[in-house]
Formats: sequence, C-alpha cells, structure tokens
Amino acid sequence: MRLGRFSGALPLVLMTVLIIAVGVFATVRQDAFLTSYNLNNLLLLAMPLALVSLGQTCALLIGGFDVSVAALMTFCVVVASYTMTFETSGWALLPGALVLIAVGLATGIFNAVLICVLKLPSIIATLGTFGILAGASLLLRSHPEGPISSDAISGLTKSVSFVPIAFVSVVVLAVLADLWLYRSRPGLALRAVGLDETSSRRLGMATGRIVILAFVACSVMASLAGLYLAAQVQIGSPIVDVNFALKSIAVAVLGGAALSGGRGSFVGTLLAALFLSLIDNVLPLFHQPTEYSQMTIGVLILLALILYQAPDLVSRLRTSWGGVGRLPAGHDEAPG
Amino acid sequence: MSPAVLTLRSVSKAFGAVQALREVSVDCRAGEIHALVGENGSGKSTLLGIASGFLEPDEGTIVVGETERRRVSPAESRRLGIGIAYQTYSHVLHLSVAENLYLAAPSDLRPTYRRMDEWAADRLAEFDLDIPPTAPTGTLSLAERQLLEVVKALLPQPTVLLLDEPTTALGPEGVDHLHALVHERSRAGVGIVYVSHRLPEVLGIADRVTVLRDGVSQGTFEAASMSEEGLVALMIGRPLQLAFPKRHEREAGREVLLAVSGLRGDRFGPIDLEVASGEILGIAGAEGNGQVQFLRALAGAERATGTAICDGKELDSRSPLGPLRAGVVLLSGDRASESLFPVLSVRANATIQVLRRLGGLGFLNRRRERRTVDDLVQRLGIRAASIEQPVQTLSGGNQQKVSLTRPFLRGDVKVILAEEPTQGVDIASRFDIYDALREKAKDGVAMILKSSDPLELAGLCDRVVVMSRGQIVDEIPGDELGERRIVEAIVGSRAGARKPAAESPEESA
Repeated sequence: MRLGRFSGALPLVLMTVLIIAVGVFATVRQDAFLTSYNLNNLLLLAMPLALVSLGQTCALLIGGFDVSVAALMTFCVVVASYTMTFETSGWALLPGALVLIAVGLATGIFNAVLICVLKLPSIIATLGTFGILAGASLLLRSHPEGPISSDAISGLTKSVSFVPIAFVSVVVLAVLADLWLYRSRPGLALRAVGLDETSSRRLGMATGRIVILAFVACSVMASLAGLYLAAQVQIGSPIVDVNFALKSIAVAVLGGAALSGGRGSFVGTLLAALFLSLIDNVLPLFHQPTEYSQMTIGVLILLALILYQAPDLVSRLRTSWGGVGRLPAGHDEAPG
Repeated sequence: MSPAVLTLRSVSKAFGAVQALREVSVDCRAGEIHALVGENGSGKSTLLGIASGFLEPDEGTIVVGETERRRVSPAESRRLGIGIAYQTYSHVLHLSVAENLYLAAPSDLRPTYRRMDEWAADRLAEFDLDIPPTAPTGTLSLAERQLLEVVKALLPQPTVLLLDEPTTALGPEGVDHLHALVHERSRAGVGIVYVSHRLPEVLGIADRVTVLRDGVSQGTFEAASMSEEGLVALMIGRPLQLAFPKRHEREAGREVLLAVSGLRGDRFGPIDLEVASGEILGIAGAEGNGQVQFLRALAGAERATGTAICDGKELDSRSPLGPLRAGVVLLSGDRASESLFPVLSVRANATIQVLRRLGGLGFLNRRRERRTVDDLVQRLGIRAASIEQPVQTLSGGNQQKVSLTRPFLRGDVKVILAEEPTQGVDIASRFDIYDALREKAKDGVAMILKSSDPLELAGLCDRVVVMSRGQIVDEIPGDELGERRIVEAIVGSRAGARKPAAESPEESA
C-alpha cells in the first residue's frame, strides 16, 4: 500500500523536481529568465495548455480520449473574434465569453451522446467532432481576421506582480479537483468507472452519467483554453493547432494519468503543463531552435513513462520471487 | 407460510433466435433458501439478470415485496432490496477492499470518506473475513474475492439475496463459512435465491429447489423430497449415468514423464513429485495453499527455482514459451482472461496454436481448418450454433471444452496441467470433460489436476496428493481414493480446522 501511494505521488515529485532543476539552471545561466516580465509571460503562455490538459485528464480518468479539444479551442478563437470584437469592452464582453462556454458545453454533450448513447469509441467519436469543428472554423474565417477586444485580453491577462490572477485560480481549481478525486465518494466513483466499468455498473453506479459528465467537463475546459488562446493570438485565426490534442494527452500522462483510465492527478497535470511551457520558454533564451524543444519533450515523455512504471515492475519482481507477497488470510505462519 | 419477497411472474426472454426463458414463474419467500438448478444455458443467469434489473423481460412481471414492475433498473432493484453476488464478481480490482465496500454501500449506511478504512474493517469482522481493508482487491485469492462479493451484496441489507454460483472458488472450509452466513441471513428473514452446480451442496442447504431446462421451469420441489439423481434427471430430461470414465489398466513400468524436484516458488515448495505417462495425478487441498502457484510455475507462468524434467529434458520454465514448446500445456482456471480469446470464434480459438499445420505458403486452408474443428466439436460435445460463434457467447462448460481442443489438436502434448477444469461447468459437460481428459491420459499424456471438488478428484484421478501451506502433506494411492478420505486429508492437514458440517452422503459416484 505504501508502494502504491508512492507510485501515485511519483509524477508530482518528478515534475516538481524537473521544474526546479530547469528553473535554477536557467536562472544561473541567463539573466533574462528570472525577470517578472519573463515569468509573467511564461505563466500566461502556460494557460491554454494547462486548461485543456486539465480537461483531458477528466476524459482519461474514465478511460477515454478527447482529440476534439484542439479543434474546439480553435473554433472558440474564431467565435471569440465575432462575440468579443475589437469594439466591445467592459461588461458587454461577458455574453461573448459565455457563448464560448456554451460552445464547449454543446460540444461536450455532442461527444457524450456519441460515446454513451451511440456507443462509439471515444477516440473515433472525438476525431469526428474534430473534423466538424475544424471545418466550421474555416467556414467562419477563411483566413485570420477579426481582432479580439483588447479589453478582454487585458482582463484575461491581469496579473498581481508577475502572477496572472487566472493562473492562481487554475492552481486552486486543480488542488480542489484532486481533493475531490481522492477524498470523496464521487471522486472514487469516477476512478472506479475508469478502472472497471462493468463492475461499477454492477455496484449500482450511474456509469453513463459519470462518463457524460467527464466529457462535458473536458470540453468546457477546452473552451476556456480557447478563450485564453484567443487572448494570445488576438485575432480570429482558423488554423487548427493539432498539437493541442496530443500535447494535452501527453501532459496528462506526464502528470500521472493512465491511458487505461482510473488513475491521474489534476495537480500533476498542471505541473506537467507548466514544465512543458517552461521548456518552450527556456530554449529560445539560450538561442536554441524550437525543434529541440519538441525533441526534448518527446524524450522526456518516454523517460517519465518508463520511470512511472518502475515501482510496478519492482513490486511485480519482488512478489514473484517469493516471500514478500501477502499470504492469504489464515496463513500467517510461515510454511514449515 | 411466509410471504413471498420476490416473485417472477411468467417471465419470457429471447436473445435473437434463442428463447432463453419461456414463461418461468418463481417465488422466493422470506427466510427461505430457494435453489435454482439447471445446466449451463438453461436460463438461470438470465433469470437472475431479470431479477436484478440488468435484463428486461420480453413478457412477465417482477414483484418485489409489494411493488410490481414490468422491469426494474439495477439501481432501482437495489433500492427495492435486492442484493446480488455475481458469479464473475463486481470488484474493481485496482481499488482497495475498503474502497470496494464503500462503493457497494448505500448512501445512508456509508460513513464519511475519512472513516472508510475502519468502517470497512468493522464490516469485514462482522462477516468473519480475515482480509486487511487496505489490500488492493486484486491481491486477494479467488476464494477471498468470492466471499467478499457476498459481503458486498449483503451490505445494503437486502430483503432478497441472489447468489450466482457462490462457491465455485471455495474449498470445504469456505463453503462452510458461506453457508453459515447464508443460514444466518435466512433466519433473519432474508429470502435467498441460490444458484449452484454442486448438487450435494444445493440439497444440503436449500428449502426448495426450482429446476430449469432449456428456459422452461420443470417445477419447484421441496429439497428434502429430492435426491441428486432425481434433480439430474429433471435437469437433463433423462436419467444420467453419473459415471466417471473407467481408469485404464496402465501398463506396468510406464516411464515417468514429469519429474519435479525441489521446486520452490511464491507460496509453495519445496515440492518433489513424479507423474507417469498415462497417469492422472490429483492435487487436493484447501484453497490458497500454493496449488495454483505450483501449477503455474511448472507452466512457466510464475517464477520458481528447482528442477522439473519432462520426458528426459529439463523444462525451461522462465517463460510460458519453454514449457509450451516442450509439450506442457496449462489449462488455466481463469478461462476468460488466460486461455481463451473471448471475441474470437470457436474455430480460431481451437486452431490458434497449430495454424502452421493447417495451411501452406503462409496461407490458411480454411476448409481443412473447418473440418478439423468440426470433428473436435463433435468429439468433445461442444454445443455452439456454429464454429464461427464467438467463444464469449458460449456457456462456461462449452468454453472450457473449447480450451480443451488445443491439447487435442496438438499431437505432441506430453503433460497437461489442469486447474479447476470443471469450475462453473454444468453436469453433462462435466462428464464430457472427464471423458476427454481420461482419453488424453490413455494416449500417454501425464496429467496433473488441481481441483477443489473432492468428488471429482476421487472419481477421475489415479492418485491424489494433498497440499497444505505450499507443501505436499499427504498422498492417497488409487485404491484408497474416496471423497471422504480426501476431505479428511484436507481437513486433517489443517491444524485447528473445523470439521466440515455438510458431508456428502455418497462416498463415490
């Protein structure tokens, strides 16, 4: 059991260590790194990836994938260029932002219906949604146009010292979500559905409802990510950044989520998103081409996954070599 | 007479062209233990599925207490007071025992999340289960999982308890434990529907018995008025010769085919043992005494040290591949996940190890494959709509026969390691399997049979060894074999064990 808990905390520890290591290295070698301007920039850049990955973690927890998030984010950027135009400001922006969330909600429900009612595999269902949304984005904006309200941008990126307020709320959200996941019955039920849906249904859980909620949560988070992406690109660009689909999955996995479902951590996901953004941020400071960033991330994902499996491998080896595994009840004396 | 707590009124259910149930009516009274018997595929599981809300009947109604319904949902059936222990369990294996219990408990009986572990420990103590609540459910033995399943069904304090084959993984002691639990609940007024293949057990515990055959009820009888033979006749529609295949006269001096010395692994050892060609050696013992690990180690599915010599050559048991190549075949007790490909057809499952023989130039000769499998299906009495039917849709007995086709197709099998080959298998299929195993032995195969059914060991084996705490503690030669002798050996080898409460009336069948 101690081993089990350790393996659960491993991704969090690893991500924290890596972030500190890279941070210290960059601070020592590059004066431009530890400036409030750069840190603020780094945290803001991390926002879309962090938000979409937190959503993706929900989908992974119940054993599904959502690849439509990338297209949904782009679609939200395009929609924002209509609902949050350059001319709108102040409270008039609120309905525009709500429209984006409504888009996320609708997409989530659409995905959930495909997956729960029509019983399509989640990866195929969301791939279909991906295509629809990518096409719809191009239909609305054939090329990048329609600047986004500068009021909205400054609102979204408002910071206290170098820390964006939005980032603080995401941290709080991730911590609360992890507490919910590991310290409450609904969280336990969510993990149970991800681990073994048949047994969960037999235990009387509303598995369908849990799956629907997970996919809706995933899409809503992706629409929020789209909102922040809009603040970054600042124009209604219809070009889908496909990377977000795979990157969000990679981030969730780096943060400890299992592709088979039932395991994961929102805090871990957030740390992993920060770490990847950090790599993206640091390499240009050292005048390294961004190609290296992609390669670094690829290598790190592989190394991290190997490391995460290590406790499992070790315990499997130990039990199969005898003496260490728990003896069945009633056999507490040693064979003799 | 107590009032009925659960009544199914002339329910019918068809799956495609197959009529699984035809106007079956059953009622279970408060405080009654009502057994449901029938061969695999006779509709018992369908009936339980309808009662527990997983299946919707085509016709008929379900009455729970005062409520009459066309159909109930699983959640609703739990609310109405129906608890069910599934044959294939409802454990989330990666979660701890406590977490599983917590998920199974209804909201008003759940403690706060923090108090889960101590609450679970209390529940386990209440049911006399010696399992640590923090253990991952996947580390429990099958017997422990089976008892835990019953505990989970009882947690919401149901008024009706449905037990689907609750003793398949239990040794005599576990069966006693379960039966004590069942009796206690029935005295408290819970109606119990008990589905089992083990007829002596059924007659020992049930008040009434309902027999199903091909989805039709053959009537409900007082258990006290029924004999095992009578029940079997009703189940299969004709009197059955409950005869084990004859032991063949082994030629004197037939060589030792498998010699194990000093084999030691997780939960067993050291073990020394020899099996001759044509011999069926039984392994008896209470559940969880290393029998399974021993067999799996021989088959290379588990780590062990020591030597095993098969037909003069040392067995390379570092992975399952070595023993397989040497002609050592394991029939795993966990058919669905270890021996069969559930979604593949009977044909594909049968021929998967011998495809090279059935084709040429890298292509498969379908006609030759089909003919081979058709032959075997006939010979082993596999009941399937066609050989293209996915194995997962077959009954347990027929699935087991499909996994038996492999040693039959391979001509070079020397040793068969069979782990509970008739677990969850109906009576008629059981004897088909016994015949098949004996036939292979006659061909010169050495066989080790691990079984928790003393009757099966007594009837089929040439010799039985008894394992306790990972070691062989007793050996029963062929002329002393009998159910009672085996049970005594199992019980006697366990210090402080209770005497088995229900001893079967007949010594050997």
